[in-house]
Amino acid sequence: MLELRLVQGSLLKKVLESVKDLVTDANFDCSATGFSLQAMDSSHVALVALLLRSEGFEHYRCDRNLSMGMNLNNMSKMLKCAGNDDIITIKADDGSDTVTFMFESPTQDKIADFEMKLMDIDSEHLGIPEAEYHAIVRMPSAEFARICKDLSSIGDTVVISVTKEGVKFSTRGDIGTANIVCRQNTSVDKPEESTIIEMNEPVSLTFALRYMNSFTKATPLANSVTISLSSELPVVVEYKIAEMGYIRFYLAPKIEDDEEGMQAEAQPPPEKKAKKEPKAEAEAEAKSEPDD
Amino acid sequence: MADVETLGILEEIQVLVSVKLQVVSYKWLSRNFSVSSNDAKRLLQEFVEKHGSGLEVIYTLSGYLKDSPQIYHISLVSGLKLAEVKQKFGDSCSVQVYSVQACIPSDPAALWNAEFVQAEELFDQPSTVENCLRDNRFCGVSNSFVKRNASGDPGSVAPQPSKTGLGVTASSKTAGAFPAGVVPQPQPQKGRVQQPSPKLGLQASTVVSTDDKTGKNAPVVHAELGKPHTDKATTVPADKKKLQNEKTSSGAGGSLANLWGRASSKSKPSCPSAETATVVTNPIVTADAQISAREALDAASSDDDGQYSRKRESNGEISRKRRVVFDFSDDEDDNENVVSLASPDLPKRQPVLDSTDETKNLAVEEKKLNFEEKKGEKLEIKKQKTTDSDSRAWLKVDSEAASKNINTRISSPEKIQSHILEGLEDQHKKNQASDAAHTSPKRKKVLRTRIDERGREVTEVVWDGDAAANKNTEKNAAANGVENRPSASNKGPALGSTAPSNTAGKAGNKKMAKGSGKDSKQGNILSFFKKV
Repeated sequence: MLELRLVQGSLLKKVLESVKDLVTDANFDCSATGFSLQAMDSSHVALVALLLRSEGFEHYRCDRNLSMGMNLNNMSKMLKCAGNDDIITIKADDGSDTVTFMFESPTQDKIADFEMKLMDIDSEHLGIPEAEYHAIVRMPSAEFARICKDLSSIGDTVVISVTKEGVKFSTRGDIGTANIVCRQNTSVDKPEESTIIEMNEPVSLTFALRYMNSFTKATPLANSVTISLSSELPVVVEYKIAEMGYIRFYLAPKIEDDEEGMQAEAQPPPEKKAKKEPKAEAEAEAKSEPDD
Repeated sequence: MADVETLGILEEIQVLVSVKLQVVSYKWLSRNFSVSSNDAKRLLQEFVEKHGSGLEVIYTLSGYLKDSPQIYHISLVSGLKLAEVKQKFGDSCSVQVYSVQACIPSDPAALWNAEFVQAEELFDQPSTVENCLRDNRFCGVSNSFVKRNASGDPGSVAPQPSKTGLGVTASSKTAGAFPAGVVPQPQPQKGRVQQPSPKLGLQASTVVSTDDKTGKNAPVVHAELGKPHTDKATTVPADKKKLQNEKTSSGAGGSLANLWGRASSKSKPSCPSAETATVVTNPIVTADAQISAREALDAASSDDDGQYSRKRESNGEISRKRRVVFDFSDDEDDNENVVSLASPDLPKRQPVLDSTDETKNLAVEEKKLNFEEKKGEKLEIKKQKTTDSDSRAWLKVDSEAASKNINTRISSPEKIQSHILEGLEDQHKKNQASDAAHTSPKRKKVLRTRIDERGREVTEVVWDGDAAANKNTEKNAAANGVENRPSASNKGPALGSTAPSNTAGKAGNKKMAKGSGKDSKQGNILSFFKKV
C-alpha cells in the first residue's frame, strides 16, 4: 500500500515536465525515505536522478519498497489534468499494476481520480559514488537556461571552463564562436540570484548542448542551479526542489582526443591580434609550419 | 430627432453598456433604433460626453496620414491612444465615436459581435419584410441598385429596441433559414470603396484606404468575409474561390489590418456578402459590378495562391538543393546554409542528385575560375603532382579546377559515401575563413576510409600537412593578409590530423546521434557509473 500526498502538486507537474523529454520510461522507486527516480536517456549519455524526500509530503505511507514503471509521457498527460494549486495524491496497492493520481482542488470541491497503467521496465540502476568535484558553480537557473539556449543557436557543444576568473561557457559553430563568462557575484541582495564559484582546480569540459537544454527544462523548479564539474566525471546539474529533494542531471562529457583543437578554439585573442598585424603573424605561422 | 427620444436612447445605451456589457457601436445603434448612422454617431458622441467617464470609447479616425498624404485612412482607435494616433493624421481628420463599451475587448472581433448578431437577425427576416439592411436606409454610401426607403415605415424596421443583447443572440442561433436576400450593398466592390467621405457614415468596418495597399487589404477582407457567408448560401458559385481566399488570407494573418478584417467578418451581412448574395437573389444587378468584384477576388486568390505554391515549391527546391549542392562560390552565407542543412543520412539519394546538380555548378564555377585566377593554374599543377605521387586515398585532383574545394567537390559524386560530403562541408567551412585557404596548397585534403564501430564504412576528408607547399603559403600570406586566420583554424587539423573533421564532424555526428542516440565523441554515462 502506497499513499503519498503532496500539497504542492505543481512540483510534481514541473518535475515531470523537466524529465519527460529526456527519459520516456522510468521506474519510480518508493521507499521509506522517499519517492525517487533514476533513469538514463535512451543513448545512455545523460542520467537523471530525482528525489522527493518523505518529509516533503504531507502524508507519506509506503509499507514496503515499491518500484513503479511508468511512461513519463503518459504520466505527464495525467498530471497536466491537475491544477497548479491542486493537492496530488499518488496511490498504489501492493501487487496492483496501476497507480492512481488523485487531484483535489484547494477548496476541496473537486476531486479527480486518474488511474494509470504501470509497465515493466528493466531498470539499470546505477551506483553514483559520492565525489569531490573540482569546481562547483551555483548560479541563477534562469541565467543558465538562457546561456544554454543562446549557445545552442550557435553551436552543438558547450565548453564549460571554470577558472579563478569565473565560469566560461563557450561554443563554436558554423557562423562563429561565442563565449559567455559569468563571474562570481555574491553581492546580490537575494542569495538565489548570486553566482558562487567554488574551485579547487581549474576544469574544462565539453558537453552536448542538446542535453544541457533539456536539463534546463527544470528551471521552474528552482531559482538557482548548481553545476558540479570534475575532469574525469560527468557534470552534475542540480536543481533543488523546495526543501524536499532535488533533481540532478548527470551528463557524460564529450571526449577530447585532441587537445590542440581545443586550444585553437579557446584562444580567439591571437586571431584578433593577427588581424592587425597580418603579415608578421602570417610569417610566424609559416615558419612554425615545418615543425608540425 | 426629438430631444425626448434622444434621451430615451441615451438611457438605453447606458443600460446596454453598463448592465448588459454590450458593445454599442454606431452601426448597431443606427439599425436598432432606426436612426441614420450619422445620428447614431452623434448620439454616441453625446452619450460619451455625458456618461463616458467610466466607459471605454473607440473612435473612428479618418483622414490623410501625414506620412502618406495620398492615402485615405480610417482607423479605429481606443480612447487612450486617440491623441497619439491623431498626431499621425493630418490637420483635417475627423473623429467620431465608433462604439462605447464597458471595457476594450481583448479580441477585437468582439467589437463587431453585436452588430453581427444584429445583422444576422435582420437577414433572417422574411425577404418580404423591408428592413434597414435591405434598403440600405442608413448607410452613408448610396448604392444605385438598392432603392432607399428612408422614409419607410419604421415599424417594419428591424428588431425592436427592446430586443437587444441576449434576445438577439438567442435568435441568431437559428440563422441559416434564409440565405442573404436582397442585400443593400454599401460597398459592393473595391472601386466603390475608394472615395468614402468621412462625413458619410462608413458602413464598412473594414479599414479602407485608396492606395495600392487597398489592393492587398481589401481582397483579404473580402476573402475573410467569404467564409461566414458560405455557411449560409452554400449554393453561391463563388464559394469555392472564397474558401480558398479565406484560407490563404488567414494564413497570411497577423497584421492589424488582417485582424480588423477578420473581425469584420462577423458583420459580414452588412456589406461584402452582398457580393454573392446579390448574384443569387438579385439578377438585376448589373454584371460589371459583379464581375469586377469577382475579378478582385480572383486576383487576390490567384495572387495568394501563387505566392503560396511558389513558396512551397521553392521551399522544396531549396531543401533539396541544400542537401546536395555544394556551391563553393564566394557566397559564404549560402554555403553555411548548405552545410548546416545537409542531411548526412541520405546516402542513396545524394550521389545521384549530386552529380547532376554539381555538374551544373561546376560549369559555372569553372567559368568563373577560368576568368578569375591565373595563379590557380600554377597551384593546380603542383597539386596534381602531389596527388599523383600518392595514389592511395588522395583526392583526385581535377586539372580543370583551380581550387581545392572544387577538387573535392568533383570527387564527391564519385565517392558515394555521404560522409564525404560531410567531410567536404567541414573542410569547406574551414576554407571559407579566407580566400587564402582556397589557394593555399600547404595542406592537402585526404580521403581516409575506416570502418566505424557500427560497421559502416566511413570515408572522411582530413587535412594532411604538405611542407612542399610552404613556398606558396608564404606567397599567399604576403598577398593576402588574412592568411593567419584560416591557418589558425587549420592548425588543429594540421597537428591532430583528424581534429577539424572531428569538431566539425560533431555536427554531423550529432545529427546521427539524434537518430541513433550514438555519438562517437560523446562519452557514455555507463563508463562513469557502474550498475548496481
